[in-house]
Amino acid sequence: MSAHNRGTELDLSWISKIQVNHPAVLRRAEQIQARRTVKKEWQAAWLLKAVTFIDLTTLSGDDTSSNIQRLCYKAKYPIREDLLKALNMHDKGITTAAVCVYPARVCDAVKALKAAGCNIPVASVAAGFPAGQTHLKTRLEEIRLAVEDGATEIDVVINRSLVLTGQWEGSDFIKTSTGKETVNATFPVAIVMLRAIRDFFWKTGNKIGFKPAGGIRSAKDSLAWLSLVKEELGDEWLKPELFRIGASTLLSDIERQIYHHVTGRYAAYHDLPMS
Amino acid sequence: MAATRAGPRAREIFTSLEYGPVPESHACALAWLDTQDRCLGHYVNGKWLKPEHRNSVPCQDPITGENLASCLQAQAEDVAAAVEAARMAFKGWSAHPGVVRAQHLTRLAEVIQKHQRLLWTLESLVTGRAVREVRDGDVQLAQQLLHYHAIQASTQEEALAGWEPMGVIGLILPPTFSFLEMMWRICPALAVGCTVVALVPPASPAPLLLAQLAGELGPFPGILNVLSGPASLVPILASQPGIRKVAFCGAPEEGRALRRSLAGECAELGLALGTESLLLLTDTADVDSAVEGVVDAAWSDRGPGGLRLLIQESVWDEAMRRLQERMGRLRSGRGLDGAVDMGARGAAACDLVQRFVREAQSQGAQAGDVPSERPFYPPTLVSNLPPASPCAQVEVPWPVVVASPFRTAKEALLVANGTPRGGSASVWSERLGQALELGYGLQVGTVWINAHGLRDPSVPTGGCKESGCSWHGGPDGLYEYLRPSGTPARLSCLSKNLNYDTFGLAVPSTLPAGPEIGPSPAPPYGLFVGGRFQAPGARSSRPIRDSSGNLHGYVAEGGAKDIRGAVEAAHQAFPGWAGQSPGARAALLWALAAALERRKSTLASRLERQGAELKAAEAEVELSARRLRAWGARVQAQGHTLQVAGLRGPVLRLREPLGVLAVVCPDEWPLLAFVSLLAPALAYGNTVVMVPSAACPLLALEVCQDMATVFPAGLANVVTGDRDHLTRCLALHQDVQAMWYFGSAQGSQFVEWASAGNLKPVWASRGCPRAWDQEAEGAGPELGLRVARTKALWLPMGD
Repeated sequence: MSAHNRGTELDLSWISKIQVNHPAVLRRAEQIQARRTVKKEWQAAWLLKAVTFIDLTTLSGDDTSSNIQRLCYKAKYPIREDLLKALNMHDKGITTAAVCVYPARVCDAVKALKAAGCNIPVASVAAGFPAGQTHLKTRLEEIRLAVEDGATEIDVVINRSLVLTGQWEGSDFIKTSTGKETVNATFPVAIVMLRAIRDFFWKTGNKIGFKPAGGIRSAKDSLAWLSLVKEELGDEWLKPELFRIGASTLLSDIERQIYHHVTGRYAAYHDLPMS
Repeated sequence: MAATRAGPRAREIFTSLEYGPVPESHACALAWLDTQDRCLGHYVNGKWLKPEHRNSVPCQDPITGENLASCLQAQAEDVAAAVEAARMAFKGWSAHPGVVRAQHLTRLAEVIQKHQRLLWTLESLVTGRAVREVRDGDVQLAQQLLHYHAIQASTQEEALAGWEPMGVIGLILPPTFSFLEMMWRICPALAVGCTVVALVPPASPAPLLLAQLAGELGPFPGILNVLSGPASLVPILASQPGIRKVAFCGAPEEGRALRRSLAGECAELGLALGTESLLLLTDTADVDSAVEGVVDAAWSDRGPGGLRLLIQESVWDEAMRRLQERMGRLRSGRGLDGAVDMGARGAAACDLVQRFVREAQSQGAQAGDVPSERPFYPPTLVSNLPPASPCAQVEVPWPVVVASPFRTAKEALLVANGTPRGGSASVWSERLGQALELGYGLQVGTVWINAHGLRDPSVPTGGCKESGCSWHGGPDGLYEYLRPSGTPARLSCLSKNLNYDTFGLAVPSTLPAGPEIGPSPAPPYGLFVGGRFQAPGARSSRPIRDSSGNLHGYVAEGGAKDIRGAVEAAHQAFPGWAGQSPGARAALLWALAAALERRKSTLASRLERQGAELKAAEAEVELSARRLRAWGARVQAQGHTLQVAGLRGPVLRLREPLGVLAVVCPDEWPLLAFVSLLAPALAYGNTVVMVPSAACPLLALEVCQDMATVFPAGLANVVTGDRDHLTRCLALHQDVQAMWYFGSAQGSQFVEWASAGNLKPVWASRGCPRAWDQEAEGAGPELGLRVARTKALWLPMGD
């Protein structure tokens, strides 16, 4: 991530002045999905773009170096080479934006990516993921260790008890959710967050990134998220420095759609490599 | 293996991330036009009507200009044929039980569901509107409308007992409209048993398709007939003898002209005029959501017209910045593209908006550049338009938003209500109290709180003031096409040689007719205005004779200035009275009833002198007192809450007072008719100016003596004098909100003609006597319906 949030004096009046009308935001969320669709080449190009926003994620208790290795390889080669060639996109260096793993797997990921010869950043969830309810000291130590192991991006879960009591923290990116909750990334919540990002930019000139995570599984969903960001924030936010999609299964659906776009056929399960 | 289907453009799109076209195939629309050999006629009595020797108008794609079909223009004889077909169909259709009509409407809904793609592509292709709005909005709502009204039809016998269908309805639709506008009106009309002749503007195939779908359903071919023809056919359709009601949607000036030309004609007239909407943005609003409200209202293909936007000064800059930002992201394009916000609406709409924007700029407003490219017109934001400039007075056209600032909620209400239009408005505020205060205070037919443009079949939609007072949807939409059972058919009372310029202009002079004699005390003298008896401006009097021809007493000769004073007094009293709770108003009506009973012997003896038997006279006094009490009780049960599918939260159906109501009482029943009209008017919060029975105004003046002590000043004002003259003054008064006239045919015709001035709703008896002592005619639901206007208040909820 290039520019960091330089921060600003905490002015709680900004927050207290914010008005959010829930039913109106729900209506907007419904509309935005219906009003913008892309088809044909546009769809293919948008889907490839979506690939470059993915934080390809595995956050399972049974992660081992072998599936991390497979994940990293998929991050480097997210779409089958012949499909990219057919689209004349093979020389664009399309990879996912990052791989995202637990702190203990950062080492494996860094090693695997090095072996694959690429510089995709490794993101690590840290600081008591997914609840954030551990001591500050251990949380900071966790971050330090992950960085030592080679993680360049940290997905911090803030201690939400602090937010609920009005003690805010700053960041470069904001996420909708950990992906480990029953309700994860939803459009209405995203709309509110994106509007807050825009207002913060208008007030301070700082661009904060946005990462929806959890529940984004279909190619169609990813297109809707792209157009949501395009509509609410504009094209300048549509780059990996400011927009990520946290997902694990999304990539394979995108690849299926690209396959269909290129060949005109629906892919069998074994036609595409697993991640 | 990978056979390449991709074009070369993916690389560029990958970098630019632009949107591409999402074309919707309109092949089925063209195929349907082919079935008509690309020549559309009219759909009458279940058959296509394609008479020879008719002019035809090309139906064009508004974007490419491609000729899609030619449309035959109807002539007078085609209109007559359609009305005859509808009249014949009415006999069968209205005689069937409601459940049969319900089944038929349900079947039509199913047919629409099965052929919806044809409907939405045809509509979008021809009108240029964004296909997404037609597909996801209009077509779905059309089916909901049919289902809702099918339910209403099936319960008609119980729920609408005492009402019967009017007959053949003439429906007139404006040049740019969605087929949905037709559905809103034909559904209730058909549900209650009416049949319809719809006159649609040239080159509107979607209504013809709907008529065909309905006609092919079988047993009732003539219930929906659609003619396409020029505006010059409107008066011809409206004056067909078989037409019982004309439902007109269109521009205010056309509505006004039609109101004048239909004065005294057989058909009733319901007007729905204008398209402008209003949005109030307060400083406690969710501004981003309010901006989406603006998009819904004016910058999408959902709303029909432009928007007047009132923004509280303290959030002006913030709101304008967000509006500009949002405008920049809107997409115009071919309506059949699935990813555009706004399509094109043809050259006439473009000319209109271009003219408006140029004029606004010349009057000092800021509006950016006026584009000259056709056929698309971009969303336009006009600001700094001086409030007194001519452009600030006229209706804002699509897709223009005229923004102006306000300081306080009170000022917002003043500005918002300071136009002759009264269609729809939305209020954006997160403060419940403020939102409700504004919602109740706005003089419009529909108010949305923190939303804009929501619609549902069960919610009445309509307007007030010069937006016309006809309704569609909900219970109010049904009553538009019903009349009380058993009342005599409304006949034409047209007198061709009635001179509108001179009717009631001069007051015949009255001379002294000798001294008052008789046993009763001297009658009260003067005009009852502002709570006290006043001498008339003319300083002269007219004699009133009793049934044996002797002088009964003198009453003051009221004139134009007295009417002016009475209307002013009524206006002064109105806010206080309308603000009272129904219970408080009922208490005063009950007090008046008690006072009448105390005055019973005087009233009865005066009635006796007018020729009534003592017993009958006493019964009339007693019935009058009962009427006052009954209306006092009834008003406390008014209004109700509607529940709408898909909306969390209630919609309130409010029954609000009309304002100052002018009532010209019938000659007969000098006491009972006066009280029967006074009671509902006051109970619902109106204030009144009444012209009592011309034959014997003394009874009303007796009641005034009690009103002087019981009521606040100005609530009810009674002006005696020459009936035609007073009628003229009241009917032409621009600040009288409604008028009831019970008198001659000529007077009725004049009142209907003159009401075109401010389009006040009128109820004229056309010379037909009314049985005031009967419950149905003297105190029936018809009075309750006419005495107040509906407002739908949408209250979406969520934390």
